[in-house]
Amino acid sequence: MKRNSNWSILLKGLLKENPVFVLILGTCPTLATTTTVDGAFGMGIAALAVLVCSNILISLLRKVIPDSVRIPCYIVVIAGFVTIVQMIVQAFLPGLYVKLGVYLPLITVNCIILGRAEMFAGKNSVGKSALDGLGMGLGFTVALLAMSTIREVFGAASFAGIAIPFMENYKIEFLVKAPGGMLVYGCLIALVYVITKGRAPLKKSFSCAGCPNAANCQTGACEAAAEAEIEKGDA
Amino acid sequence: MKKSIRSTVVLVSICAVMAILLGLTNYFTAPIIKKNQEAAANEALLQVMPNGEGFEKMDISSFTLPKTVTEAYKEKNGGYVITLTTAGYDTGLTIMCGVNADGTVSGAVCLASKETLGKEKTYGESFVGKNAAGVEAVDTVSGATKTTTAYRNAIKDALNAAIILGGGSVDIRTPEEILADNLNTALPAGEGKFTKLFIVEVIEGIDAVYTADNGAGSVYVIGEEFIAVPTDTTSDNETVAAAQIILAASTSTDISLTDYENLPENLLSAKKTATGNYILETKGAGFGIMNDEKYIHSSGEYIRVRVSMTPEGKIIDTLTVYQAESENYGGACAKESFYGQFDGKTEETYQEIDAISGATLTTNGYLKAIENAFAAVKIFEGGNEQ
Amino acid sequence: MFKSLIIILLSSVLVNNYVLSRFLGICPFLGVSKKLNQATGMGIAVTVVMLLATAVTWPLQLLLDKAGLGYMQTIVFILVIASLVQMLELLLKRFIPALHKGLGVYLPLITTNCAVLGVAINNITDGYNFLESLVSSLGVGLGFLLAMVLFSGLRSRIDETNIPKPFRGLAATLIAASFISLAFMGFAGIVEKMFA
Repeated sequence: MKRNSNWSILLKGLLKENPVFVLILGTCPTLATTTTVDGAFGMGIAALAVLVCSNILISLLRKVIPDSVRIPCYIVVIAGFVTIVQMIVQAFLPGLYVKLGVYLPLITVNCIILGRAEMFAGKNSVGKSALDGLGMGLGFTVALLAMSTIREVFGAASFAGIAIPFMENYKIEFLVKAPGGMLVYGCLIALVYVITKGRAPLKKSFSCAGCPNAANCQTGACEAAAEAEIEKGDA
Repeated sequence: MKKSIRSTVVLVSICAVMAILLGLTNYFTAPIIKKNQEAAANEALLQVMPNGEGFEKMDISSFTLPKTVTEAYKEKNGGYVITLTTAGYDTGLTIMCGVNADGTVSGAVCLASKETLGKEKTYGESFVGKNAAGVEAVDTVSGATKTTTAYRNAIKDALNAAIILGGGSVDIRTPEEILADNLNTALPAGEGKFTKLFIVEVIEGIDAVYTADNGAGSVYVIGEEFIAVPTDTTSDNETVAAAQIILAASTSTDISLTDYENLPENLLSAKKTATGNYILETKGAGFGIMNDEKYIHSSGEYIRVRVSMTPEGKIIDTLTVYQAESENYGGACAKESFYGQFDGKTEETYQEIDAISGATLTTNGYLKAIENAFAAVKIFEGGNEQ
Repeated sequence: MFKSLIIILLSSVLVNNYVLSRFLGICPFLGVSKKLNQATGMGIAVTVVMLLATAVTWPLQLLLDKAGLGYMQTIVFILVIASLVQMLELLLKRFIPALHKGLGVYLPLITTNCAVLGVAINNITDGYNFLESLVSSLGVGLGFLLAMVLFSGLRSRIDETNIPKPFRGLAATLIAASFISLAFMGFAGIVEKMFA
């Protein structure tokens, strides 16, 4: 298999390196905006747009930006695109703007975007970076859609706001509340682990090393991933 | 050093580029966003004025509007949408009312209320298309009299506010304020503080007498006319002069209640004037007052009423001496607009008064007190002295 | 006045706990809550940065609004937070090395902690005045600290338990967090009723 072919760059984000279920990035919006399918879809697409744009611009500027100020530069670029997306959403999709609330500007600090800028766009060509952004963005969107479908259908007996009548008497309202989000997320992580048979890449080697959240990951999440890896080795 | 200058230059130029991009996007989206926000705000206004177009918020600080008005929007075709906050059964009944250019109600909705009955939700619909007189004729909802009365008053306020906002003038004073203003105009020396004189004699042609608390004199009311009579003077008006003589000559003596049998036990005291009229104090059980979220019910708490009556059993004057009803409900029995209704009534007609809306128990207690007064006068006149 | 401040404080610590009911600051919550001392250090560092960030961003927003540049909010706030964190780290290193040893390692992580940017933006959207904003930031920070400390106790137990393989690590951690969040839902309504 061609490891670096454009296809694999695009597709790896969907499952193998899914930012949400495997790399465990962008947990905040994942939990917060998945109570409804339309909100989750909007968040996914908004993040995708920011991710692609910032990846392209950062890749373009990768030779200009000095190493010492790269993180502030990335943050400015990302925050700028987030604000642009925010204004466009507010102008053309006011309903979604209200629904996403503070989580829309908070895309700025979504680790997926900064992580990809640092890990990929800062080191690769414009085309590849765009594909990487697209793939990761799609992976994020798909993950949000999967989670929101489970939560909204079983928790609120509706899909994207359209009521599902026969579910009405069987809804588990717990799922659309905060704890339900964490529960579903935990279960999905375990499910993806089973599907990929634990072959999901070791987190540390993919996103953490250069991520500004590195220390964060290394002390916690990555250890968990590392443990999982060790378990795999044992098995 | 060179390196850090380069870093700074790059960072600043990236900031500048992003700021320009943002400014551009803002230039294109800001008008759309503004339009969206206006449309969202208008949506609420359209609820009460479905045919309205182009609403504009007004600065109402320069107008003297009914106190309930909180916000006003002007509509292109001359209509107004007015937001009012009033007190129903509980405080915080917020109503939005649309008023057409012709002064009729285009719609009314309740925006927020803590009321329990929920009747206010659809009550607003009954005002649609009504003018001021029509609004007055809308019935209150039984079981939610207090709320719906407040609602109806708010709609009246909205109609008045629309007239004022349109440059017209309308009397928005309450009956109490009108009276106070009239008294003050008649006798400025009274400094605005007047007490209604409790009348115990039959005086023809005079509706009421008010005395200034500072002793500056009295004001006699004949219909719409307010005639001031400073202390130690006699009025030019014949009717007033006659009344002055009668009132000056009036004396009364106590009646010993123990001299009579079968007197109503709610009779507290009685007096007889030289002209043969009776002054009685009776009590009735009211609803009691809210205290610590519990009603202190009528046991021990009473409405005390002073009534003067001719020997034939015709009420001359009534006054609420004491009441322990809660302020927003039964407390209205202390207002002249309520007890003034008994003047001139007899045993046959005294029940033909407007009850205090939302306070049936208070009204009934009051009627009981008046009934006792009639019974007492009958016994005194029957002369079954021991 | 005082009452409303207390309500803001308590509700941001308990009812609207950023981590457990609004999902802000989940990354460090999952990442750094493994040991009690780490959890405490991170929690205190976040509280301090939140307070400082609010003290700077609230007046800045006034300036932005005045200049008609309200849309620059996100970009300005994140830059302020990033430079604040940087400055705080330098100052601590230079003047209070002992404290830097304790808290310094957590500071770089805070820039991308969405709870900090979140509280700065929320204070503006909720229309709080300057004092209320500071109290709300304090409450959010303390709520974060509380969640971290509580959870670190729980995690040390999870690590010793024999759980099915797919759930080991983060999955089990998230499910445990779900239960803590469930427990915090019990606070809803209490705070307002307490002062009603």
